[in-house]
Amino acid sequence: MVVLAASIISKSGKALVSRQFVDMSRIRIEGLLAAFPKLVGTGKQHTYVKTENVRYVYQPIEGLYLLLITNKQSNILEDLDTLRLLSKLVPEYSPSLDEEGVCKTAFKLIFAFDEAISLGNKENVTVQQVKQYCEMESHEEKAHKLMMQSKINETKDVMKKKASELDKMRMERGKLDKGGYSSISGPRVIEKAFNDMSITGTGFGSGSGLGGLSTDMDSFSSKPKGASNFSEGRPSAPATAPGKGLGMKLGKTQKTNQFLESLKAEGEVILEDVQPSSVQSRVSPLPPSDPITVTIEEKLNVLVKRDGGVNNFDVQGTLALQILNDADGFIQLQIEDQDVPGLSFKTHPNINKDLFNSQQVVGAKDPNRPFPSGQNETPLVKWRIQGMDESSLPLSVNCWPSVSGSETYVNIEYEAAEMFDLHNVVISIPLPALRDAPSVRQIDGEWKYDSRNSVLEWSIILIDQSNRSGSMEFVVPPADPSTFFPISIGFSASSTFSDLKVTGIRPLKDGNPPKYSQRARLVTANYQVV
Amino acid sequence: MEKPSTLLVHFDKGSAAMASEIKADLEGSDVAAKVDAMKRAVMLLLNGETLPQLFITVVRYVLPSEDHTVQKLLLLYLEIIDKRDAAGRVLPEMILICQNLRNNLQHPNEYIRGVTLRFLCRLSEPEVLEPLVPSILENLEHRHHFIRRHALSAISAIYRLPHGDQLIPDAPELVERALASEQDASARRNAFLMLCACAQERAVAYLLSNVDRVAEWPDLLQMAAVDLIRKVCRSPNRADKGRYIKIIISLLSSPSTAVVYECAGALVSLSSAPTAVRAAANTYCELLSSQSDNNVKLIILDRLNELRTSHRDVMVDVVMDVLRALTSPNLDVKRKVLDLVLDLLTPRNVEEVVLNLKKEVVKTQAGELEKGGEYRQMLVQAIHACAVEYSEVAGSVVHLLMDFLGDTNVAAAVDVVLFVREIIETNPKLRVSMIQRLIDTFYQIRASRVCSCALWILGEYSLSLSEVESALSTIKQCLGDLPFYTVSEEGEATDSAKPAQPVVNSVTVSSRRPVVLADGTYATQSAATEAISTASVAPGLLSSTLNLRSLILSGDFFLAAVIACTLTKLVLRLEEVQPSKVETNKVCTGALLIMTSILQLGQSSYLPQPIDNDSYDRIVLCVRLLCNTGDDVRKIWLQSCRQSFAKMLAEKQFRETEEMKAKAQVSHAQPDDLIDFYHLKSRRGMSQLELEDEVQDDLKAATGGFTKDADDANRLNRILQLTGFSDPVYAEAYVTVHHYDIVLDVTVINRTKETLQNMCLELATMGDLKLVDRPQNYTLAPASSKQIRANIKVSSTETGVIFGNIVYETSNVMERSVIVLNDIHIDIMDYISPATCADVTFRNMWAEFEWENKVAVNTVIQTEKEFLDHIIKSTNMKCLTPPSALDGECGFLAANLYAKSVFGEDALVNISIEKQFDGKLSGYIRIRSKTQGIALSLGDKITLKQKGGS
Repeated sequence: MVVLAASIISKSGKALVSRQFVDMSRIRIEGLLAAFPKLVGTGKQHTYVKTENVRYVYQPIEGLYLLLITNKQSNILEDLDTLRLLSKLVPEYSPSLDEEGVCKTAFKLIFAFDEAISLGNKENVTVQQVKQYCEMESHEEKAHKLMMQSKINETKDVMKKKASELDKMRMERGKLDKGGYSSISGPRVIEKAFNDMSITGTGFGSGSGLGGLSTDMDSFSSKPKGASNFSEGRPSAPATAPGKGLGMKLGKTQKTNQFLESLKAEGEVILEDVQPSSVQSRVSPLPPSDPITVTIEEKLNVLVKRDGGVNNFDVQGTLALQILNDADGFIQLQIEDQDVPGLSFKTHPNINKDLFNSQQVVGAKDPNRPFPSGQNETPLVKWRIQGMDESSLPLSVNCWPSVSGSETYVNIEYEAAEMFDLHNVVISIPLPALRDAPSVRQIDGEWKYDSRNSVLEWSIILIDQSNRSGSMEFVVPPADPSTFFPISIGFSASSTFSDLKVTGIRPLKDGNPPKYSQRARLVTANYQVV
Repeated sequence: MEKPSTLLVHFDKGSAAMASEIKADLEGSDVAAKVDAMKRAVMLLLNGETLPQLFITVVRYVLPSEDHTVQKLLLLYLEIIDKRDAAGRVLPEMILICQNLRNNLQHPNEYIRGVTLRFLCRLSEPEVLEPLVPSILENLEHRHHFIRRHALSAISAIYRLPHGDQLIPDAPELVERALASEQDASARRNAFLMLCACAQERAVAYLLSNVDRVAEWPDLLQMAAVDLIRKVCRSPNRADKGRYIKIIISLLSSPSTAVVYECAGALVSLSSAPTAVRAAANTYCELLSSQSDNNVKLIILDRLNELRTSHRDVMVDVVMDVLRALTSPNLDVKRKVLDLVLDLLTPRNVEEVVLNLKKEVVKTQAGELEKGGEYRQMLVQAIHACAVEYSEVAGSVVHLLMDFLGDTNVAAAVDVVLFVREIIETNPKLRVSMIQRLIDTFYQIRASRVCSCALWILGEYSLSLSEVESALSTIKQCLGDLPFYTVSEEGEATDSAKPAQPVVNSVTVSSRRPVVLADGTYATQSAATEAISTASVAPGLLSSTLNLRSLILSGDFFLAAVIACTLTKLVLRLEEVQPSKVETNKVCTGALLIMTSILQLGQSSYLPQPIDNDSYDRIVLCVRLLCNTGDDVRKIWLQSCRQSFAKMLAEKQFRETEEMKAKAQVSHAQPDDLIDFYHLKSRRGMSQLELEDEVQDDLKAATGGFTKDADDANRLNRILQLTGFSDPVYAEAYVTVHHYDIVLDVTVINRTKETLQNMCLELATMGDLKLVDRPQNYTLAPASSKQIRANIKVSSTETGVIFGNIVYETSNVMERSVIVLNDIHIDIMDYISPATCADVTFRNMWAEFEWENKVAVNTVIQTEKEFLDHIIKSTNMKCLTPPSALDGECGFLAANLYAKSVFGEDALVNISIEKQFDGKLSGYIRIRSKTQGIALSLGDKITLKQKGGS
């Protein structure tokens, strides 16, 4: 049943590489390998040699032998399979099959052997899998790195915002002092604020513990290296953004938001245990086939207090346009929206503001300049809805931890508003550090316990008319009720608050109106119960 | 126990000086240089350097590296460094790596986690493992199967360490839970194996609760299950064996052939009930026919052979299935099948078997098979064996086989003719038809050796008038018209033959290429006694029907002598059966004419080679005899020949039955044999009871886990004194020779009143020996002693010498003192063991091997037999020449000896001695082997020992 060693030796008996999978002394393995070439007969049509104690199963590869040493009772069928796999692996890792070549790639070969045989037992793997294992390309590691990066960026954003606020305050004070004299242009003010920032440095970042980011901030600020990155990375930030001014800043946050969202999407995948490939397809949908795509997206930033009441309820929307061909760039969009109180629009500087305000038509200021084309989406209009009250929340979650005896019962229920059908709802409840998964007594939907982060994730794939409300109950060892907060919630929906729509596209030049598709969705950026 | 070695990498240009370069590279920030330096460090370590100062560098500069390759190499490095000090305690600095390992176990990259877990499987230091346990357990629930797989094996490995159950007390429960929810095949297998090894009852419970689903399990898991069942059922008299057998039987239909094969093996070890064995045998047979790989076929045949020895009655039923494997094109497979089948013959199945073999023979005639000739020869031998044992089947095959007398494969034809000869003697009923057939096919025979044997048969067994007459006429016909040459041709021929003469002149350089003579026939010089003579002539002569004539014209006078004898015999017989005297005389003169013609041919210059004296004498004898017959001679010629042949056959039979008896006796236990208790395990006698434990023992044997039973008395005999008693350091060694290595246990005693510092045992070797690792330096207090062990690797059978000296320093003498040790001679006899091989293989090897050592006999021993025994005893070889052939006193003796070395090399020895008039023995001992070492060493040994007398 067991492979003792996998080795490559030269025809003269020089052991080039050998990996042992069971404990055996060096002299023993060297002896076995040295004895082998003498035992190999020529002109035989079989490729195994039996000795008193072991069996060699081998395969000549040019001037070398690839051989497995097994015990005599070993299952020959399995061993031959293993040998076949190894014989395919060797040329993969050692391009020149001679002594020198094998010696050069000895370690790669050892790593590959390790993947093909685990502690003497055969593994059911293919050459591709072994290659994949040896390459060690990890999606998760990349994600982890990106996450770290995004956290750094996000903190940077927060810093910027704070800086500009401060600046504004100072300016207002200056206005008061100097009696309304002010002609300083925006960007320069920001620049100045940055300079201030770099002086006060990290004090700002760690001081302004913002909502969900607080934990990240800790890890972030505890690393001196990260902090230095932080200040170094600052000057490069404007370079990466395409435009100038406020629009640029929004675009950037959108990018990070998208990323966080994709992370969240993955988190959801963890729950459903789907193949990563399908994740990919969901996160980044197939490239649109229509020449023009309009994406309308709203992001929710909600902070609800656990005892009721809204701390922050903020919707940020974007209308983005993607044009595949240059020729289709000369267009105008006719939009239409519901009149929602608190809705305010901002347009891209290149957009004709008058046209937009009067006719709700999105068109370029300069009619001779087309909208940019390519694979990137260009945000044209942004809007914000503020000041909505609790009743407009798409989903509210109630959590009732109660201690009884040596256990804590936690009851959670959700209630969804009639307006939206919510997809891929994930409610993540932080738990005290536990060794075992909590015992879930009752649940509508599915759950998963992520022991690494001590988070219980409750997922409901779809909330529609059939399940506007649902509940879950689980039991954990006694814990302080506050440990179950903040509960963060993620979902997406296909309709938006503003209900903004593109009703038509008009070509500026002659011709038929081009074909277009539009997608609207509502996603959560940060939706927490604290 | 020696430190286990986990990897070997060839490396020849290492020096300790590289250590500083490595250090510099490791400290740098260049990843590629770092990788390279790590590789070099690992190779240096494997080469026996210790590099103790490197560890801290590694900890400081390599541990934090984020590069994956560096991390993996780091794990290899950690795997091979010494983690314990001389006293067996874990080195304190090892704690430094714990943090890194734990980070790796929580690394976002799943592969880093996986390889780290795999590394932990090879780690046996509980102090290092302990802080890592929680991280390992967390990985059990990671969503990536790669991690779970390795986490399970890591838990298993840790739990199995001594005191491992304290590190993870709840490991079995955890693993059991993981197993229940696991989907990945490999991870499930690892979990299941862990339970099998550490908590068998849980594994059994899991297996039994999943009985219905076992058939759908992935094959890896099924293998583990079979293994478990085998283990569980080892305890005898288990009442619930039936349940397990049921599982096994359900697994026999598994789609994975490996599982099926394993099941069959398990089934046999579980039960010796005929049904189970039959099921196993059938399974093997199915695999045998379904698997195309030769290796598999051969090993399955081995398995079947094992079954045959233990359950012959069952195996008899599957004979026909086994025979089906003859369809394999591989000769080795065919040979094994035939051997197996021949051992399974019973009166009931012999008919069927022979029928099958006959069909195979017919198939070989079709001719598209490569090596058809060789295969046919095997078949003929097999049929021969069948017919000897069950003579009733001979009739059905002998006629078919006689068609092959003219086969171009001489070896096959010889086999056939020997077969015919034996059958015609043992089976008188078939005689008439066989003679008839032989006369009909005689003209097809091409090979001289077959011819002579066929002629002998004709001469011996043509009894009736008509048979004798037709035999005579056939021979005459084959000889053609007389004389063999005309005078006019002679002059011509001598001219044309002359240029060819140098080529065919020498007897030893036997050129096999036929030389075309002026008349279109072939002239080939050949030694008539050689086994394969004229083999290659045959095809060239096929055109001619006059086979005997062409052979004689090619100079084969031995055959001519045989013809003369046969003719004489037939004439003598004719005198008995032919009523008409006139006819007899006519025939007699005809025969005389033939003989004289042959003689004339032999003495003429027509052929390049004149007749040899031996043949000449025989033919002349025949001529004399025919001219002047007497009753005595008649009796000798007509009866004694046949009698001695019958005697030879009888002896052969007798020898075979003796061998069988001897074999049968071995397996019986002696009344005073030790009884093995199952619970008290001893290596010495592996009895039936322990057979089931074979698999495990097998593994241990393979890894060299068994320490040899040291026979104390023997051990003391092998002590070698290395220094004198009055030397400042006394040393003695005993030498233990294992298969591939020699262990020297040296005891060193300080005889002075001073402390010896830096005392070192330096060894050097000559021959094919290599010192594995250098013994280190010691400090020896006054009058204290020290045991030093040195391993020496042996790579071939050869006499080797180990030299050495002991070097030490004392405080008052500044220089180092040296004591030279006695040489230690390693004896070749420890490496060779008697073995047997067939005559033919011996001859083939003899012809093939390049190295020959010829030793002239020089001894005081007076008798040939005694000398042979002496040589056999002193060389530890086996005599292949049967004792009956060595019987009697005739003043000379020739024998073949054979032995095999532990490395699988062959050693051949031929002894040819003759007793001189003065009573002394003279002659030569020839040693042949494939490699020089054996021939030389064995020669030296014989030269040393042959004198005898002591």
